[in-house]
Amino acid sequence: MSAYTALSQAGYRAYTRDRTTLFFTFAFPLIFLVVFGLIFHGQTVEESGKPYINYIAPGVLSWGVGNAAVFGVGFVLMQWRRDDILRLIRMTPTPVSTVLASRYVLALGIGAVQAVLFVAVALLPSFGLQLDGRWPLALPVLVLGITAFLALGVIVGSYAKTPEAVAAVANCLMIPMAFLSGSFFPLDAMPGWMQNLSRVLPLRYLNDGISGALTGDGSLTDIGVACAVLAGFALILGAVALKTFRWSDKS
Amino acid sequence: MTSTAPRTPHDPPAGPSAGPAVALSDVHKAYGATRAVDGVSLTVERGEFFGLLGPNGAGKTTLVEIMEGQRRADSGTVAVLGESPWPRNTALLPRLGVQTQASSFFVRLTAREHLATMAALYRCDSAAAERALASVGLTEQGGTRVDDLSGGQRQRLAIASALVHDPELIFLDEPTASLDPQARRSLWQVLRDLKGRGRTIVYTTHHLDEAEALCDRVAIMVAGRVAALDSPGRLIAAAGPTTRLLVPADRLTPEQARAMEGVDRVTEEGGSLVLETLAAGRVLAAVDAIAGLQGVQTRTASLEDVYLDLTGAGAADAPRP
Repeated sequence: MSAYTALSQAGYRAYTRDRTTLFFTFAFPLIFLVVFGLIFHGQTVEESGKPYINYIAPGVLSWGVGNAAVFGVGFVLMQWRRDDILRLIRMTPTPVSTVLASRYVLALGIGAVQAVLFVAVALLPSFGLQLDGRWPLALPVLVLGITAFLALGVIVGSYAKTPEAVAAVANCLMIPMAFLSGSFFPLDAMPGWMQNLSRVLPLRYLNDGISGALTGDGSLTDIGVACAVLAGFALILGAVALKTFRWSDKS
Repeated sequence: MTSTAPRTPHDPPAGPSAGPAVALSDVHKAYGATRAVDGVSLTVERGEFFGLLGPNGAGKTTLVEIMEGQRRADSGTVAVLGESPWPRNTALLPRLGVQTQASSFFVRLTAREHLATMAALYRCDSAAAERALASVGLTEQGGTRVDDLSGGQRQRLAIASALVHDPELIFLDEPTASLDPQARRSLWQVLRDLKGRGRTIVYTTHHLDEAEALCDRVAIMVAGRVAALDSPGRLIAAAGPTTRLLVPADRLTPEQARAMEGVDRVTEEGGSLVLETLAAGRVLAAVDAIAGLQGVQTRTASLEDVYLDLTGAGAADAPRP
């Protein structure tokens, strides 16, 4: 068994054996989807004339995926450093890239399961999402989005020293970002300044890209732009993440 | 140094020609104004069982972390198995075994899964994990989650994590601290077996009886410096050849004791008369003639006496009334 396989397997086991994390990764976003989906069932958004589910399904999916990526790696890195597991790994010949790669494949796997689950629920007649033919384009958007948010999670996990700090910092980033990027409320129904502000947030582009792919909203270029901006965020945040990565809290 | 090529962990350790396991020369490390390690020079030979003793805060942990390559020395030279451990030396790491604190386990895994992960990180197979588990007597607990292990079991799992890849040089940090006497003795056997197979062991401990029983040589650190470095036997011998004879107080009066030839000092301690002498044999014969030898105890200095003397705690241990 390679170090990469072993670390991925250890991460997978730790993940699936933790009910709280499973709940927050899968059930929690689903509650938003179900509640908003049932409240606004059959309604359309005044400003655009499109069904509400076309906003809420991609919105909850992108927020859920981004949130899971940030929290997942943030908690794990903080805890691994606090409990000296990083020190343990550091004393083996395993390179940092292997450690991060194992977390990356886990995050991608979690994102894939989330996407299938959330979309499947949104497709139920009581929610009424109609999948557009270009839905496969959601895959590259998801991969780039998860990469960007994973890098953000590494930065959070490198600075935070306690679980409380991880939760506080990650929530401060993700909850306002969810509202400002239109994850829970259609951006089309928001004031102009908020729509402009959302353009500096990675979640806005993850939203746009997924919504474009799943519902057929906007042009192919819009999805391309979303991918390009997410790739940019991934690159910058990834560079910062590698710079801030620490094996230990000690000097 | 003739060769610095990395070898697989399963190679037998190199012969004496390969040089010492650890060679430190004038190593310094400060944290702000605190001089944690203040000019330490020492050599650990291959196959040696080396004890690092000293009070908390004496710099033991920092010194070990410098040897392990986890910290960089401010100055001085550090050679471990002929190589520099800093910066992170991935050719050297598989040859070192490092015990971390007893909570460093992959969360929510079983003991066996944790060790299999450790083995894979060292590029060993899972049979290595099973061997390590057996070597610390945890085979039965292999299926138990690491969080559910007892304190002593966690301690043994931490040691198994350091041994899983069969390293040449093993660093153990108070390995027997939270073990019960039986587990402690069985770990002694594990350590002796490792030494028997030619492995080098550097370990820190507060158990002086243990250091006396296991170590070829010990270094006693005080305030960042090595205050004494030798075999336990020689350290004890150098500390003073005085023997203390404990005679039940009702069998001998202090006056009789003082009158004996060779008795340097007589005190009373908890129902016994304590006779300090450099000529134990002669005094024993004299005691035998007056009081008989039943219940008489002989005490020579131990490593603990040497330690307390060097670390300054000896003064507080004044004779009781």
